[in-house]
Amino acid sequence: MSTAVGRSAGESWRALRTPLLVTGVIVLAAIVVLIATTARTSGPFSPDSTEPEGARALATLLGNHGVKVTGTDVLDDAVQPGSGKTLLIGPEGQLDRDDWQRIADAGWSHVVLIRPGTRALEVLAPGVEDNGQILASDSRQPNCELPAAVKAGTVTVGGSTYSAPDGAQACYGDGINNTVIRVESAGRIVDVVGTTRSFTNEQLADDGNAALALNLIGTDRELTWYLPQWESSGFGDDDEDSPPLVPPDIRYIGWALAFAVLVVALWRGRRLGPVVAERLPVIVHAAETTEGRARLYRRSRARDRAAAALRESALGKLHKAHGIPRRADPSAVVATVAARTGRDPAMLYELLYGLPPLSDAALMSLSHELDVLTQEVRHP
Amino acid sequence: MVLTYRAALLAAAGVVFVALALPSWGGVGLVVAVVVVVCVVVCVVDLLLAGSPRRLQLSREGDTAVRLGEHAAVNLLVANPGRRVRGLLRDAWAPSAGVLDPPHKLNLPHGERRRLTTNLLPTRRGDRQADRVTIRSIGPLGFAGRQGSHRVPWTVRALPPFKSRKHLPSRLARLRELDGRTALLVRGQGTEFDSLRDYVPGDDVRSIDWRATARRGNVVLRTWRPERDRQVAIVIDSGRMSAGRVGDAPRLDHAMDAALLLAALATRAGDRVSLLACDSAVRADVRRPAPEDVLPSFVNALANVEAELVQTDFRVVVSQVLERLGQRSLVVLLTGLDPAVIEESLLPVIGPLLRRHVIVLASVADPRLTELESTRSDLLEVYGAASAARTRLDRERVTAVLTRAGVTVLDENPDTIAPALADTYLALKKAGRL
Repeated sequence: MSTAVGRSAGESWRALRTPLLVTGVIVLAAIVVLIATTARTSGPFSPDSTEPEGARALATLLGNHGVKVTGTDVLDDAVQPGSGKTLLIGPEGQLDRDDWQRIADAGWSHVVLIRPGTRALEVLAPGVEDNGQILASDSRQPNCELPAAVKAGTVTVGGSTYSAPDGAQACYGDGINNTVIRVESAGRIVDVVGTTRSFTNEQLADDGNAALALNLIGTDRELTWYLPQWESSGFGDDDEDSPPLVPPDIRYIGWALAFAVLVVALWRGRRLGPVVAERLPVIVHAAETTEGRARLYRRSRARDRAAAALRESALGKLHKAHGIPRRADPSAVVATVAARTGRDPAMLYELLYGLPPLSDAALMSLSHELDVLTQEVRHP
Repeated sequence: MVLTYRAALLAAAGVVFVALALPSWGGVGLVVAVVVVVCVVVCVVDLLLAGSPRRLQLSREGDTAVRLGEHAAVNLLVANPGRRVRGLLRDAWAPSAGVLDPPHKLNLPHGERRRLTTNLLPTRRGDRQADRVTIRSIGPLGFAGRQGSHRVPWTVRALPPFKSRKHLPSRLARLRELDGRTALLVRGQGTEFDSLRDYVPGDDVRSIDWRATARRGNVVLRTWRPERDRQVAIVIDSGRMSAGRVGDAPRLDHAMDAALLLAALATRAGDRVSLLACDSAVRADVRRPAPEDVLPSFVNALANVEAELVQTDFRVVVSQVLERLGQRSLVVLLTGLDPAVIEESLLPVIGPLLRRHVIVLASVADPRLTELESTRSDLLEVYGAASAARTRLDRERVTAVLTRAGVTVLDENPDTIAPALADTYLALKKAGRL
């Protein structure tokens, strides 16, 4: 009689529900934790990054002094109305001229540019120019009238330097190459900061770095910390007239195709019962050891042993063929064989009882001659 | 749950539908959702309507033993107490059972029974077990179904093939000659006195019993017959020496073949045969079966014996044989002629056996060695020939040692070992050495 193997649907469900529940809870918890702890921004000079190049320390410091810091890498956050607020723009990334213009039009009352590029300077701080010099990192005096710099005193600065236009306050440099420049225009304060390392987690505690950062950046109650990304927003780049290369609806067909592939996989993937395994016997060829010994002979060039075996084998055949007694004298054997075959006794003696061959060729010819001799005896 | 090709076709049709419907409907994910839902609903309906494979009742009947190389048929009875089951049934066996049929088609209405036949052609000796029976029941729409397995245990024993039985008739004829049942009457050593009968012209005059002739007044002849009721012990070495493959079968299988021929012949000759397969332990043991039971019991006992990769312990062999043989008997030892093994394990312990019994040692020679020794066209082959010659010389040396010790040694190719052993037995019987 038969017994059913495996579990019924009900049993499968009862066995599976607890693991399924536990897995579901774990996945759910993981998703919640991930959402709750995800930093909005990352990378160098990010207010959420705790790496040496990050600026989490500065953001926390600002927060402790009552400044509300909002980190973002979305351009839309940087172009919303910003009257009475501060906008800090990070050193990385790239924006179009139009994007810079939109930021300028947003009406921020205070903009801090960390190591800005040429486009940013043209739009936001006209007159300030990147003069291409790199200043070695060192402790420097302010050398200017800017209150924030005067209060901070000596600060570790280094990095890109800028030349200031007339009427701007240029600090931490020699008057021509400066790392911190404040320009006021159209009711907007723009700070150009060339030194990126000074305000990072790594160097914020050095000299008066923290004081400079607080006094320079923390002037308003709200600070938007914007880190531009490399990709362009594409704003104004759209060419509305050209048709797209791929129809936008193609992805629906892709989904339907994916579903069809899943169904085909399920159809082909289910076997009609499991594979049956069995123990197989070991297969060893009986001549394996003999063949192995032949390879050993060859590897060690055992010509002497090979020749001895071949000679002994040939002698055995000769004994049998001529009725020579097994323990006969070599000379008697040679004499008998020579008499029967008509060969030279000296050469026969050399062939049957001579020295081992000295080369492979000699072994080959010895084997051949022994072969011929035994054949001759068999068919005289 | 299983899906069929129809479900795959439906899903593929869905792709075409989405592609055609999109331009007019304007790219809504709804179309995809409709396709998916239709597929899933169809499959779930089918799944729910398919008959349960688990509720089927299965049982087996049919062959339990088959000679290796012949067909066996095992029937599977399937009864369905539930809803109609339509689909496939796979009767799974281990690969060496050699299932010949593809999976059976099944269409079994409620309350009916079917007999499905699975044909087997085993490829190896021994017990071949049935694995599980898997049934795939497809729903009425043909899109999806259910699958379940049952265990229906059954064993088919693949027996040794006994290919050498073709040699039996000729050996039996020679046995009858020995026995005196043919017209030819042979007088010789190794026969025992049977009876006296009247002389018939043509009889050997040397067989005339002159004393009885003088008493009776007419010419009386003595008749002779070979000895009967001797014991023959066949010992098969199932150790590593028998594992080596000669031709397409291990030495062990050739040895079994020879043992079966000898057993059949000796039984007809009126001798009692017993069997022992032994390596480090006893693997098969048949003691003096009834004459009509010799072959079946031998074949059954040998069916599951496989060569073990261990060195045979000849002390066990000797003690086992001594224990079961009382009178002077013939001991046939089927093993390999490995000089090291023979000299170090067999010769030191064979003394007690030699003193009391006649021993024949039969070994399967490898034709590959002859082939190796005769091909000498390049250097590697010359080394091969030298190595084969060394192996042959070693075997000849150990054969000489065994012969000097009083053992009859047979070293024959696989296709001649069985008849050669039978001939040796007949020769021993004729010579009266049993």
